[in-house]
Amino acid sequence: MRTRVMHAFPETALERILDALEPELVAASDADILEAASDLGMKPQMKGSAAFIGLRYSSAMPRAEDFFDAQWMLQLLNDPRRIWLASAAATRASSRARPARKKAPRPPKEPGEG
Amino acid sequence: MRPLVDTRVLRPTESALALKLVSEMDLLRLKAIARLHARGLPPDVGWEDLLQEALTRVLTGARRIPKGVAPVAFIAGIMRSLRSEHWRRFGAARRRKDAPSGYRAYRTRELALRDTAPDPERSLIAAEELAAIERLFVDDPLALRILDALGEGLAPEQICAQLSLTRTEYDSARKRIRRCLLREGLTCAPE
Repeated sequence: MRTRVMHAFPETALERILDALEPELVAASDADILEAASDLGMKPQMKGSAAFIGLRYSSAMPRAEDFFDAQWMLQLLNDPRRIWLASAAATRASSRARPARKKAPRPPKEPGEG
Repeated sequence: MRPLVDTRVLRPTESALALKLVSEMDLLRLKAIARLHARGLPPDVGWEDLLQEALTRVLTGARRIPKGVAPVAFIAGIMRSLRSEHWRRFGAARRRKDAPSGYRAYRTRELALRDTAPDPERSLIAAEELAAIERLFVDDPLALRILDALGEGLAPEQICAQLSLTRTEYDSARKRIRRCLLREGLTCAPE
């Protein structure tokens, strides 16, 4: 018979399971961690090990701080020219959103019209 | 020539390492714990956010590690409370959104019953995560039965009695569960 991990409300069952499993990981010895890492082909002792992705090295999504230092970012954010340019861009965008209504071309005059 | 100054911002994990608050092995332990707790959160909240937030609280002094408590256990506790805090805030925001406004709310507030129904989004996320945990232990029926019992809130002694296990069998299954969780916790795959 197949066992299913779902009897109580799913969120209650999940919370209980997570809370019960947390001490297992807190109590895991260094040897346990190294064994699990070796199962995955990782060597945490080596510099640049994949085990530290997300901890010491960024994961999939690069972040701004990976490329720019804090001072440069602050300067950029507080640069009045940048703020002025941003507000100008916003004004341009809003003016573009409502284009001026063009007059319809007048029909050609009839021969009898003055 | 201007001297080169390293102005790179350290992440909380790097700061904690530099301050010797935790060791490299502790960081791996915390990664596995963060990945575990992130299972109880919506997909847009990642394990990195959870861990960095918990470490930031310690580094800024918002949470102080009591004497005699291991930093890893303390930081794990912060992550657990952050998980609960997330759903508390989420529930409060939902109640505010659904609540009648203005005078009607004032008139009916004494009669209004608090909605205790589980949040459908949370239930769905939890059901998916339970299925994911189940898949992790699909080759270990005893581990699945133990997890099932843990989900019902049973203590280890009760689990041993209910499943007719000796303490050695239970400990051995727990060790397998721990190893599997560590493997899952060290991987770089999305949770």
